[in-house]
Amino acid sequence: MKERVVNFLRVSFPFLLTLVLWRLSNAFWNPGGILCLIPIFFCTFVRPMPGFGLFGVFMCFLLDYKFDSLLYWTAVYCFCYALNGFQSVIDLSRRDKNGIDAFSVFLAINIFILFVMRAGWHNLVCALWMLVLAIALYLPVTVMIERTTHD
Amino acid sequence: MNPKKISSKVYKLVKSAAAAAMIPIIFIYIMIAKPDYRIMNMMAHVVVPVGTAVGDAITWPVRLVGRTIDAIGDISNLRAENEELRARLDDALRNQDTCAVAILENQKMARELDVIKTNPRRVIPARVRHENRAMGNNTFLINRGARDGVEPGMIVTSFDGRLVGIVADSGIGYARVRALTHNSTNIAVRVAGSEVYGFLSGNGSRRPTMGFFSDPEFQATAGIKLITSNISGVLPDGIVVGEMVDDTDVDVLSPMRLNDVMVLQFDTAAGEYK
Repeated sequence: MKERVVNFLRVSFPFLLTLVLWRLSNAFWNPGGILCLIPIFFCTFVRPMPGFGLFGVFMCFLLDYKFDSLLYWTAVYCFCYALNGFQSVIDLSRRDKNGIDAFSVFLAINIFILFVMRAGWHNLVCALWMLVLAIALYLPVTVMIERTTHD
Repeated sequence: MNPKKISSKVYKLVKSAAAAAMIPIIFIYIMIAKPDYRIMNMMAHVVVPVGTAVGDAITWPVRLVGRTIDAIGDISNLRAENEELRARLDDALRNQDTCAVAILENQKMARELDVIKTNPRRVIPARVRHENRAMGNNTFLINRGARDGVEPGMIVTSFDGRLVGIVADSGIGYARVRALTHNSTNIAVRVAGSEVYGFLSGNGSRRPTMGFFSDPEFQATAGIKLITSNISGVLPDGIVVGEMVDDTDVDVLSPMRLNDVMVLQFDTAAGEYK
């Protein structure tokens, strides 16, 4: 019984962590719940987990609701998912440091697009802060997921 | 050849094709469903409460700690706040008689000029659940929704009558309110005590900006009070919006500073304010 509970928690940890990071959004430390993109990216592209594709769409939809960005993150997620699936040149699962370089590029491009749509000094600072924050927390979060989900 | 490997490759391709097929669907939907995005909002009314309920269940210890820290902060500020409130009360009492006379004079003038002031038909008290501020998008959720009569377009004010935002979307048990500081906020306001109109635009920062004054000779200065105007029937006349802090920036009420708000439902000849 104990083992089953531990196994369940181990499997569900990335899903729960994503929800936690979305729910604990804060104007400064987690704007709009942006940090939930870390487990979404990691568990979809770097260490793919069963069922995370659909869950990622669900979470991106929730992120869009908080961001008030229509379906931007959902569309971007679908686009990256398709792009990653159709090509075999870049294997994100073999990247160093849990694919932090790929995540940084992914996030930088998307935050830049969001910034361009609402350009302004305040939004520039917000965009830079979100980028720095998410990249700085990428490794700790992904290492935590790895350690929890592996024996 | 390993059939298992082939089937997993095919499965991956099918999943990628499904994801790729979603993109044009999303784009077409965004183009045709403007401006109310009914299907998306209907989906959100199911998905958001589920996500929030599960998130609430998992994160309650963290939020409890956060609330405790906030409460400790509030308690430690009580003395200073008490002193400030006493000073403000003394000021208010000093002005009480003047205000009472001004109200009576105002009522007399309104009767003589046949001015009909719009009062809300219904007031729905609500609690601010949480604020979502990201990249200039400043919305917040309140704990009253369609079940309680909250509809998109309704006006949200603080308990002292200051405008906080406008309901953007209402689910069954919650509503999403667009704050005045939101990037897409653009409302017509009037300078209190004059016939000068202007536009208040949110820019994502804590202070929206004023511009396009109807009187080109009008010089905006700090301390000018702004109220809503009834231009185009978007907002009822006379709700306090904020105070100018310099020639462009306006100090408005941030949802971050609020625990409780009121949702106002108005009746006009043309129907409710939307």
